[in-house]
Amino acid sequence: MFSGKLRSALVIGGQGIRARKLRTFLSMVSLFLGVLAVVTVQAGAEIAERAMLTDVELQAGKDGTMMGYIPGEKGAPGIVEATLKGRTDAVAMISSKAIIGEPGVRPINEGGMPFEYANRGGDYSGPSVYCDAAGVCQEQKPQEKKPDGQAIEVSMVALTGDIRPFKPFRPVSGTWLDFATAPSLAPRIVLNEEAAKGLRQYRIPGEMMIDGATHHVTPQIVGVVEDGNVQPRVYLRLDELRTWMPAAAATSELDRFRGGGTGLEVYMQPGSHDLQQLLKAKLVGAGVDQNQVQFRVVNSKERMESELKIMRLIFLGMAFLVLLIGVAGILNVGLATVGERVEEFALRRAVGMSRMLLAGIVLAETLLTGLLTAALAIGAGAAGLQIALMMFGSRFPSLQGTTFPWEAGVAGVIAGLVAGVLGGLIPAIRAARIPIATVMRA
Amino acid sequence: MTAPVIQVQAPLLQLNGITKVLKGQEEPRTILSGVDLTVHPGQSVAILGRSGSGKSTLLSLIGLFDRADEGQYLLHGNDITKLPERKAAALRSAEFGFVFQRFFLLKHLTAAQNVAMALVNGQGWSSRRKRKQQVMEALDQVGIAHLAKSKPARLSGGEQQRVAIARALVRQPRVILADEPTGALDTETGNLVVEVLLGTTRQGCGLVLVTHDHDHARKMGRVLELRDGRFN
Ligand SMILES: Nc1ncnc2c1ncn2[C@@H]1O[C@H](COP(=O)(O)OP(=O)(O)OP(=O)(O)O)[C@@H](O)[C@H]1O
Ligand SMILES: [Mg+2]
Repeated sequence: MFSGKLRSALVIGGQGIRARKLRTFLSMVSLFLGVLAVVTVQAGAEIAERAMLTDVELQAGKDGTMMGYIPGEKGAPGIVEATLKGRTDAVAMISSKAIIGEPGVRPINEGGMPFEYANRGGDYSGPSVYCDAAGVCQEQKPQEKKPDGQAIEVSMVALTGDIRPFKPFRPVSGTWLDFATAPSLAPRIVLNEEAAKGLRQYRIPGEMMIDGATHHVTPQIVGVVEDGNVQPRVYLRLDELRTWMPAAAATSELDRFRGGGTGLEVYMQPGSHDLQQLLKAKLVGAGVDQNQVQFRVVNSKERMESELKIMRLIFLGMAFLVLLIGVAGILNVGLATVGERVEEFALRRAVGMSRMLLAGIVLAETLLTGLLTAALAIGAGAAGLQIALMMFGSRFPSLQGTTFPWEAGVAGVIAGLVAGVLGGLIPAIRAARIPIATVMRA
Repeated sequence: MTAPVIQVQAPLLQLNGITKVLKGQEEPRTILSGVDLTVHPGQSVAILGRSGSGKSTLLSLIGLFDRADEGQYLLHGNDITKLPERKAAALRSAEFGFVFQRFFLLKHLTAAQNVAMALVNGQGWSSRRKRKQQVMEALDQVGIAHLAKSKPARLSGGEQQRVAIARALVRQPRVILADEPTGALDTETGNLVVEVLLGTTRQGCGLVLVTHDHDHARKMGRVLELRDGRFN
């Protein structure tokens, strides 16, 4: 019974589309652009969101993480290290500068810049001013000029534990630091992609000079990670760093870790208020200004998501306007077709087709057209993305390995369905209203 | 399946006091006022009347294209006066065959496909082979089986009307309703079409023929004239 209706609908719909190929094609063209607009906006937003949101997690930490900036003075690094020792729910990051390569030369990327901007042109030799976190500035003596050489400047991040639960660095090659073993005397470091690129590109000898240390060490590079930073960085264990430093100098030298880098950052799991209180009490006890010990909950992703959402809504609104034009096109064609087929429809009802089935067939013809168009538009969108990635992918490393997001496909199918229903419903209702007696009066 | 004896003896269709009011641009007009008509299996009836007397309107009520405002309509003794549209569609498919003044063939379909249209209407389903067999039988019955693959544009008026009659016959209806089927044909071709239609009554079909042609009317078993909304 049902299959009789369905099969009849298929036969009649097929005959109808075949008899009006050009017209079907034309209504598909107008709809195609609308669906393509929706698919493009969805895919673009999805890809942008993925790229930006994963990077924001790498840079700022996962949402919910408790994060604190602590000035690296008055023995703070030592206090932090001692407090966090053996804990897995909190990790401190201490940043400083280091130079890898020939000793006593001016690095290729002075100031730890990305290599893209590293040209040793600008020789600025006037007075330079250094400001600390509290906003107190003092003039510094111009540095003595050093000869150019095969060396790169990196920011060096010493870790008290595995940072990846807070910042999900993506492995690129090799391994990550192992915090379970005893500290190695040959210090192990992990590079970020930019640092790895610098080492490879400029064939830097594997010597490393740490800011404040008195002698060179030869580090052991164990891996490369993607950390969302454009500046070259190296990561290493804080306890291994200490083994390179003269024992007596260790604490005081670490105190100097500030200025060029991020200083001292602590990441804690959500809800570690006790630890936060303990740390604050100890630091204030040591004489650190209590206003300078600030903790906050990371919500960068959430904030960015809501900003992206607004953008996406605006673009989606425009895409729907284009889609609406497509719907108007389909509707126009649909109404004209019904007008032309008045006698056919009256005749079909006369020979026994029910009103519902007739309306269903008219609707299904547009719906099928809409879905077919959606499929074509989704295919075009996916193909376009592949081509765009092939052409521009190398310029945007964060887009590498991107695939067509399924959300865009779903959006395209929905757009096709909605357009089919909007464009087919009115013609279907018109068709159902045609009086059968038309066949006697024509 | 053989029909029960009782149903064979009951009239095929029976109209009692049928009234139809049509709402024109101005005030409503009573087109039919108390039409009575009984048709038995194998009977043929001619309906004559001036243009605008309501012949087509009456046929559209018999064929369940439309419903009467007053009166009673029995089909095989069953009251179908107030049948819902879904069931009316099923009856149109199973019980009636329609032939119109204009042939109403779909020009993008062949003669055979046009006949098959009555089989592909959502009322049941038969295989392609079965359909083809039924279509060829119907075309054979009207004498144009050899034109099965022709499109309407290549057929003469008489041939086109015979395709339309085959379309009406393909489901083996109990009643044929023909509204001026010869109106667009010359006398000779018209005679041929009337003969084909009369042939169906010999197999037990009822035939209601609306015509302006008195010669054709005389060939029917009964001749009725519609005047002032009723038969006199
Ligand atoms: N949909 C309608 N609304 C209002 N009036 C209508 C409608 N259809 C037909 N009529 C009127 O009903 C009257 C009867 O029409 P009908 O078609 O039944 O006449 P007829 O006897 O078949 O005429 P003809 O011999 O010319 O075919 C006509 O006066 C016509 O104007
Ligand atoms: Mg008429």
